[in-house]
Amino acid sequence: MVAFTFPTVPVVVTEAISFVGILLVTWLIAHFVGRFLGKFFKIGPPIIAVHVKRLTLAIIWLMGILLALAQIGLHLEVFLLLIGLAGVMLAIASREVLENVASKYFADFYIPFKMGDSISIRGFSGKVIEINPISTVLITEDENLISIPNSIFLKEVVVNATPKAWKEVAIPILIDNNIPLPDFESDVLRSCHKVKHLLDERFPPILTVKKRDAKTTELTLTLMIKEPETKDAIISDISARVSEIQERLKKNLVDQKVEP
Amino acid sequence: MKICVNTQTPLLKFKTTGPTSAARIEGRDSPLDLHSLREGVDFEFSPGGVTRMVLPLLTHMLDDGKVSDAHWVSLNPGAPANVSLGGITIHHVNLLQDRRIGYGLAKEMIWRAFHGLGRPSDQELLWEDNFVDYTFYNRLSAERIRRLDAREDFDLFYVHDFQQLPVGRMLQTLKPKLLRWHIPFEESMIPSEWTNFLSTYLNSYDAIVVSCRKYLDALKSWGHKGESFYVYPYIDQTPYVNPNQQDLDEVRSRLRLQTSDQVILMVARLDPMKGQDAVIKAAAQVIRDFPDAKLVIVGNGSFSGSKQGLGLSKSAMWLTELRNLVNTLNIENNVLFAGYFPQRLLNAVYSSCDVTVLPSRQEGFGLVVVESWLYKKPTLVSNKAGIAELIDDGKNGILIDPTNPAEMAEKISAVLSDSELARGLGENGYLTSQRCLIEQGLQSEWEIISSLL
Repeated sequence: MVAFTFPTVPVVVTEAISFVGILLVTWLIAHFVGRFLGKFFKIGPPIIAVHVKRLTLAIIWLMGILLALAQIGLHLEVFLLLIGLAGVMLAIASREVLENVASKYFADFYIPFKMGDSISIRGFSGKVIEINPISTVLITEDENLISIPNSIFLKEVVVNATPKAWKEVAIPILIDNNIPLPDFESDVLRSCHKVKHLLDERFPPILTVKKRDAKTTELTLTLMIKEPETKDAIISDISARVSEIQERLKKNLVDQKVEP
Repeated sequence: MKICVNTQTPLLKFKTTGPTSAARIEGRDSPLDLHSLREGVDFEFSPGGVTRMVLPLLTHMLDDGKVSDAHWVSLNPGAPANVSLGGITIHHVNLLQDRRIGYGLAKEMIWRAFHGLGRPSDQELLWEDNFVDYTFYNRLSAERIRRLDAREDFDLFYVHDFQQLPVGRMLQTLKPKLLRWHIPFEESMIPSEWTNFLSTYLNSYDAIVVSCRKYLDALKSWGHKGESFYVYPYIDQTPYVNPNQQDLDEVRSRLRLQTSDQVILMVARLDPMKGQDAVIKAAAQVIRDFPDAKLVIVGNGSFSGSKQGLGLSKSAMWLTELRNLVNTLNIENNVLFAGYFPQRLLNAVYSSCDVTVLPSRQEGFGLVVVESWLYKKPTLVSNKAGIAELIDDGKNGILIDPTNPAEMAEKISAVLSDSELARGLGENGYLTSQRCLIEQGLQSEWEIISSLL
């Protein structure tokens, strides 16, 4: 009589299966977290949602990849140590650069000036002609260029001398390229009309394309408000409406695909 | 140089009715060679500036080698998506009916304001759904042009008129953008509430061209700081030949004209702004002294009024109003509504007339005056038309007040009764017409375009 035995699975196969399995789980987690964050950040500037989403997904994928690598025998501790050391060295080497970059990130949302505005800071005055990740460049009346590190804007008092600068509200929007821009624009303009009583009627809302890449289009919705104290409420309300419009148009696209 | 032209009015009006035309045109998405179709049966060239000015400009620049490739984007619902005509590829934008109505009403309101025909709810326009449709149409055009640019890499975008005003900003390109403003531009007519909307869009162009010195002065005085020029509109003289006897006979037969008739001719689309009512009232007085005088009104609705176009019914309503006026004045036998005339019949009617009248309440320029001059005909010109600044009153034309039919009648009668005056006006007018021919226009346009490239 011949005894039946199960064939032995080589270790390398089980490790490979674990590796692939962990990557699959990571993909699933990243997918669901991405969707959750998309809904969570419905209210607020859409560009913040995009950056938070990118950072969170990068961390999830980094953890997933490290865990997967550990399954095939690579020592996680060594990788973590190397990544940590690289991070510390980079941070030390570019402390001031990072400070400026981080400041730029926050300045995008919380510093009340934009390109073309006339501002004063630390005794320097001029028109803003460039805002890059490291510094903000002003041109003076004598056509001198002044470069101001972005970190200074978070520490110092900035005066925006542009007439009625407070009136202008610029809401950044990011949309997928498969959403038809003319339809999206129409719906956004109509939704702005709903709060017309809070806006300066001489300036109709205007949507401007800032940047396009293969998948997304960056837009800015510019509104002129009547009263400065309504600014936050208007941004919040319009941002929510914009997100709803995006969701609806996306759903329409899906429905159109499903239809025979 | 690769150029992309953008106009609202399409160059071609397709006849999609009738079994022959429908079979030739419908269901075509691939570029259609216009030479495979028959003019008059399958399509017609749109009357007005697109055919008189824009097409000759492109054709001449292609022939001269100044332009290597020309693309033309315009609104044309129901037309084939792309049509090729010589070196020009025409791209048609489709706008669905519900959007078309809103767009048409919004642009009509802007048009009316710039022609001084009332300022209804100036501020409201910018917050109406119709204005959203106006923006939608412009975005649709801009996106079409942007996609073409990604493929063709144009050197210049040449946008025509107020209907397309936002396109320049929406293109989001640093490449040169030129705007040709065809309608009047007078500071007093611009609602102050529109200042920001207008300046935002006008400033997005690298240069603006208006139709006469008066409008250029107004544009600058209004506060436009960018590059701006004036170039008199122009026509290609080639199609304006002496008519053959067959065409002359056909016109006389269609209009039931006798050889003894004195023909007062008005060529314009049917629109209250064109002032057909004023010339009908003037004709009623002229007929008392000249019983054989016949007023011939040539022209029908514009693209905006046509069913294939925006479907606004103002031309049909205006025609009814004019017919009622003719009946009230009891001059049915002396006023003839000729409708649309193709070029050969237009040549014949110009050749057959005794005097022409342009009685517009406001007029961007008035190329029909140049057409009349090419046939050495005496012409009466509204002092509200852009071309009025070329008139030396009593020498090459006679200026008229479009709101004063009695004065208009006196001046028409003066020309009809004085053949020497009529001849002098025609001869001098012919000399002035040389300032508005394609050769002159092309040179001026090219100087501006070269400065941008």
